[in-house]
Amino acid sequence: MAYVAARGGEAAILQSEQLHQLLNAPLSLATVRMIEASLPYLVDRVMGEGSLYAPELAALALAQTGGDLYEAVLLLRAYRSTQPRLAYAEPVTQTELLTVRRISASFKDIPGGQILGPSLDYSHRLLRLDLLDQDNQEHSASAPPAATVSSDAPAGEAPPSYDPSPLAVADWQRSEGLLAAVPEVPPTDPASLPDLTREPADFPAPRAHRLQALARADTGGVLALGYASMRGYGLAHPTVNELRLAYADVRLRHPVTGEAFSIGRVRVSQCEVVNTQATELRLGYTATLGWNEVKCIAGAMLDLEMDAPQPHPAHSEEFVLYHTEPVEASGFCIHYKLPHYVTFQSGLDALREARATAADAPTEPGDAQ
Amino acid sequence: MSLASLAHPRQDFSYGFLDAFAKRELRRRMLKAIAIPGFQVPYASRELPIARGWGTGGLQVTLSIVSPTDTLKVIDQGADDSVNAANLRRFIARMTSVATTTDTLAATVIQSRHRVPEERLREGQVLVLQVPDPEPLRQVQPDSSRAREMHADADYAQMWLTLYEQLVRFGRFMQGASYPVLVHGRYLMSPSPIPRWDTPALHQAAHLTLLSAGREKRLYAVPPYTDVRPIEFEDVFFQVENMAGRICMLTGARNKFMDELPVAEGGSQFRLSDTGYAAKLLRRARGDAATLGATYFDDEGHFYQPGVIRAE
Repeated sequence: MAYVAARGGEAAILQSEQLHQLLNAPLSLATVRMIEASLPYLVDRVMGEGSLYAPELAALALAQTGGDLYEAVLLLRAYRSTQPRLAYAEPVTQTELLTVRRISASFKDIPGGQILGPSLDYSHRLLRLDLLDQDNQEHSASAPPAATVSSDAPAGEAPPSYDPSPLAVADWQRSEGLLAAVPEVPPTDPASLPDLTREPADFPAPRAHRLQALARADTGGVLALGYASMRGYGLAHPTVNELRLAYADVRLRHPVTGEAFSIGRVRVSQCEVVNTQATELRLGYTATLGWNEVKCIAGAMLDLEMDAPQPHPAHSEEFVLYHTEPVEASGFCIHYKLPHYVTFQSGLDALREARATAADAPTEPGDAQ
Repeated sequence: MSLASLAHPRQDFSYGFLDAFAKRELRRRMLKAIAIPGFQVPYASRELPIARGWGTGGLQVTLSIVSPTDTLKVIDQGADDSVNAANLRRFIARMTSVATTTDTLAATVIQSRHRVPEERLREGQVLVLQVPDPEPLRQVQPDSSRAREMHADADYAQMWLTLYEQLVRFGRFMQGASYPVLVHGRYLMSPSPIPRWDTPALHQAAHLTLLSAGREKRLYAVPPYTDVRPIEFEDVFFQVENMAGRICMLTGARNKFMDELPVAEGGSQFRLSDTGYAAKLLRRARGDAATLGATYFDDEGHFYQPGVIRAE
């Protein structure tokens, strides 16, 4: 199947797609259900970058692309862009979240408590090889013992109280005068908020655009730039003030009664980092749909540093937000697979002529003196 | 005779998790690091079953030096009971069957993230510090090859300039933890993000300190009885964190490094950061036997070696 045959060769396109499908497991509803049920973090990542909360559709996108992340995100975004905007949800506030994980690195203990929640952070990253050959008795005998979980609380003692919607650590810092107070903002009509999906970002971007862009940014891209900043090219040395995984009720106002009601629950994550290297604390923030801790932490670090004067890429809002857009970045990257022989020929022509001119020249430029 | 009868029974992992080649490399690098105090020795740094950047540097050192006869203490920010410390201790114990303790005096190897225990370490003990960023020049020179040249030339002028700039802008040195030190008058070294409170404990210490950064693939050492001096000016001195007036809510201890605990109603409470020491103080207060070692700072906040903290 010659590459040039792809020039309008419909048969070639079909053959190519077919071969792709042959190499993957057959697409079935069972696969989609299995992905949704067993790979929630992958589904979350696709939903976050696709900026559409739809676990079933994200699972379908993953199944359909054989797990090619950028293709899956593109599928979801392309679907999203066709959907009408029916209503605006009420703002989600910290104290209304159903928090399942909430940790602060700034203090050993915080009002409301450190809630470890679901996490692999402290697991030992050992491959469960025993799972692969369970029939091999000798092997399973030498497998590491499975961790046993027991409750810390002695029998008869009530479990520690759990507040599902604890106050933000930043609120305590504000009450201590360590952090600037939240500016009073009059209630805004959600329809009047700048919306990145309906208007292009202009720089310097409105705060809403920046947070929206970070929410749907490429996890890997945000991590690369954020890590550069954390590792040695940044100006701040932030601490994770608070990292939260939670469920948020999506609340709408009834068009007739005006009553707020929940239309469903979404998984959300958010991170707030804080910098001490001044006379007042400074915050950086990122939130996204789905549970994606890496993106939220790296994004919050970037939010803190994006306006720094030092000429490092991660200090420019425009650089960060443009280049961490997953659909645009991956799309442009793979466009290089398109034929470029006309433009290449044009460049080659210039190169050949320049070579000929150089060969005809009596002396090398270096011999000029 | 079958092939299986000739083979060893299969073991999924080596003693101490690392293979023998990795351990040999690490031990050689450690010897070199001890021979050149404060000098960053590169090493291959293997991936471990713990997330990169979560103490894998310290862990590789610990796994290469512990033996079944050792007694291990693992702390994170001073605490034996934090999830991270508990997890590393659990992993090392699982891979080496080493005995574990929370008592600084009983330990032969102490792996620590960002603290030196309050009780003075003695000869023969090894303190393994986890290091996120081994390069003290990073803030003035992010390019590591140029930073290496600066170390070779002992060209640390930019560090003094940074100190001076902080002094002009804020009226004091703003460096929090990881306060840079000069080791035996030669290499500038990051003592890892230990608070300034712990920095003087490395000076002319009886114990060996090994510092290792897994992600950055560098390890370095402070051998026993080596000069470790925080950088300061002749007229403006390095200061440790001000712990005056902070009293531990559990033990009543004072002039030790304290954790600040925000209170929902406003304000803060304080608790000893060194939980192993706090546990012994509590045992003694209850009338149980507890052997307390001499501490780096006495109850009046004086460091045990007079003149080392010039701001005193």
